[in-house]
Amino acid sequence: MSEYLLEMRGITKEFNGVKAIENIDLKVKPGECVGLCGENGAGKSTLMKVLSAVYPYGTWEGSIVWEGNELKARSIRETEEAGIVIIHQELMMVPHLSVAENIFLGSELTNGMGFVDYDLMNAKATALMNRLKMPDINVALPVLAYGGGKQQLIEIAKALNKNAKLLILDEPTSALTGTETETLLELIKEFKAHGMACVYISHKLDEVAAIADTVTVIRDGTHVGTHPMAELDTNKIITMMVGREMKNLFPREEHEVGEVIFEAKNITCWDTTNPDRKVVDDVSFQLRAGEILGVAGLVGAGRTELACKLFGYWKGDQQGKIFLNGKEIQVRNPADAVRQGISMVPEDRKRHGIIPLMGVGQNITMSVLGRFAHNQLIDAESEMAAIQHEIARMQVKTASPMLPIASLSGGNQQKAVVAKMLLPDPKVLILDEPTRGVDVGAKYEIYKLIFELAKQGVAILMISSELPEVLGISDRVLVIGEGQLRGDFVNVGLSQEKVLAAAIGKPETAAA
Amino acid sequence: MQLTKKDFRRLLSEYKIVALLLVIAVIWAFFGYLNIEFLSARNFSNLLRQMAITGMLASAMVFVIVAGEIDLSVGSLLGLLGGIAAVLDVSWGWPLYATIPVVIMLGIAAGMMVGWLTAYVGIPSFIVTLGGMLAFRGAVLGITGGITIAPASDELKFVGQGYLPEGIGDVFAVALFAVLVVLALRTRSGRVKHALPVPSMGFEIGKLAVIAAVIIGFVLTLNSYQGVPVPVLILLFILGIFTVVGNSTVFGRRIYAVGSNLEATRLSGVNVNFVKLMVFGLMGLMCAFAGLTTTARLAAGTPSAGFGSELDAIASCFIGGTSMRGGIGSVIGALVGAIIMASLDNGMSMLGIDTFWQQITKGIILVAAVWLDIASSGSQR
Repeated sequence: MSEYLLEMRGITKEFNGVKAIENIDLKVKPGECVGLCGENGAGKSTLMKVLSAVYPYGTWEGSIVWEGNELKARSIRETEEAGIVIIHQELMMVPHLSVAENIFLGSELTNGMGFVDYDLMNAKATALMNRLKMPDINVALPVLAYGGGKQQLIEIAKALNKNAKLLILDEPTSALTGTETETLLELIKEFKAHGMACVYISHKLDEVAAIADTVTVIRDGTHVGTHPMAELDTNKIITMMVGREMKNLFPREEHEVGEVIFEAKNITCWDTTNPDRKVVDDVSFQLRAGEILGVAGLVGAGRTELACKLFGYWKGDQQGKIFLNGKEIQVRNPADAVRQGISMVPEDRKRHGIIPLMGVGQNITMSVLGRFAHNQLIDAESEMAAIQHEIARMQVKTASPMLPIASLSGGNQQKAVVAKMLLPDPKVLILDEPTRGVDVGAKYEIYKLIFELAKQGVAILMISSELPEVLGISDRVLVIGEGQLRGDFVNVGLSQEKVLAAAIGKPETAAA
Repeated sequence: MQLTKKDFRRLLSEYKIVALLLVIAVIWAFFGYLNIEFLSARNFSNLLRQMAITGMLASAMVFVIVAGEIDLSVGSLLGLLGGIAAVLDVSWGWPLYATIPVVIMLGIAAGMMVGWLTAYVGIPSFIVTLGGMLAFRGAVLGITGGITIAPASDELKFVGQGYLPEGIGDVFAVALFAVLVVLALRTRSGRVKHALPVPSMGFEIGKLAVIAAVIIGFVLTLNSYQGVPVPVLILLFILGIFTVVGNSTVFGRRIYAVGSNLEATRLSGVNVNFVKLMVFGLMGLMCAFAGLTTTARLAAGTPSAGFGSELDAIASCFIGGTSMRGGIGSVIGALVGAIIMASLDNGMSMLGIDTFWQQITKGIILVAAVWLDIASSGSQR
């Protein structure tokens, strides 16, 4: 019998011929906690989906050895039976069912008659809660009675009930407050002492440092290294994480940066589901005409939430002031924002960008339709002229402006959405992940457009999770981490290490 | 050429309206075969008058459903507004020029209240209008005292029972055809100017010739009985105006956008709540029209007026190809749906088929029509 509980050997997973992860090894001993680190899109989640059989055996290459035998699981059910339980970033709970019902969901306990035995279930659930040092939780109450932190622990109780031998935690603390995080970390240490192994995935390296015995770092889908935590510190981990190649050429063009035209002061937003948690925490910044301000940070840092707030789209509690040309403006909804000269190209194109049943042309003019109308009646000719002008300018490749936008490629959809948000002639343009899901050619065209707009004096706020893109495009870089402004750098000789260190929260030691 | 399942689907979805007209032809041929009286001018006139009220509701209901909402309160609101019209006309002796504007204003106000509760307060429209359905019906009973209010004035009766004299009907027919020709030519020249594909001139002329034949046949048939019924004329005007609203106005475009992707429309800077508010306002306006027509047709206000007509209106929309999920639907489709429903009612009544069979048949037709729609769009999972 091998000393390892789990050995993943040479795992490679392709999507349509593109290797998402290649030849990755991961080993976990019983009672050991392995920290899994990597940038956004490095392949951490893909690797865990291979392990938990979200991608069943046979759809990837390599082998998984579990307790000395090769594991050929074809479904999550099989891996859970083996003792591998994954807790996802977004909790999987039925909010209106009780805590006990959630814990036993899918494996309800019944009495001899075939009815659910609530007494037995509640007693067992209470025992689990006591093990988790949460005796104050009433397992008969619905899950929604408890906040995000407690729900996370209930999710762990569910895993314990499945007799997990290996617990995979994917960004478990991204929705938790500081105290809730501490409780969770304490608990994991205790499980370790009782022999349970875990894989801990987190962007928060201080948590990884506090809890992991060994750390595996992956970058761009490849294995960078595995070392005992005792030989590492957070700076060394950062150095291993960065260094992604500059794959794209950036068509950098000189442009003049003018006066400050936009200012956000003390922006704070609270989470909609966990109202005690701040997703944006007292962020202030200025933006100049013709300036490209990149916003870097890890996924879940609060960048999209900040953009939504500035565009009048944040639905939770919020605070803060927004100034345009030195005057405070009220932005209660996106219509207010667009009218006053702020446009946003949203991150989730399918949900927030395109109107799928409509043609490319009708999508493009949606933001300024009134411009082509006299007494409500649309002048089809002037609308069509504008559409064709925009399609030519943005190089949207479509056989006809009448084609449904959903039939276009991602890149062309994105260009149409950008065209839509440029038609109102914004003074400030917020781009949230403008090149996500976009092919290389379209990316290049979007970059060129960004520089073109900057030359015309548009102030641009570009959120991106790709560090090379942020560094290749921006004049200045804001770094957001855990909702807070962690850095405001002029992009001259700025390194990926420095930005990432700030994002992770080690600005003082990042002397790279 | 081999016609594959996919080709068939494409044909069906591109020429949905043609398919629906074919369905009408089949239904009429069927009933005409069993009872030739079904195809008489008199029955044709009756059938159109029967569907006029449902048609008025369905024309606005299309927009409500396209915007991704539903309105269950229209039958009761129709009854309430019809009852108010009867009270104003009969009990208070108001002149028609005062009654009509007041009823219309009340209709718009009631519709906008529903819209405000849905769009701004955020209560689902199903719930708001279910409540409205109960409350408005209660109000009708209160206003009428549970009894029929009669007799309506002759002026009001004309709105529901009158016919246009032959000459005026002809003038309307010619005017309508002229408008359609001008529109067709304008669309064509616009498409040519922007280098978009245009159908051949022969096809265009052929299409107009068919339309002309339909209009002539329509007017001649009705004239050979008593002339074009007033409610049918009103409905045709509504059809024309609403088609323009749906296809060529800012408001109409936004209704379809809201139904297709609410959040993306909001993020384009459109005030989506206002769009929904106005859609329900329009629905209220149509309830006022339908209420006035109902009272005029019966020459009385009755407590049960409009009972269940919300379901007929909704069914007409779905039979006419409106998508349950929003974003797709047309006024002409909904009216064709209403004609199909009215033809079934009328034809089966003439054959003396029991009411219970009529209801069962209509239910089956509704489900079958929507199934055909799903099958033809290929969007089933």
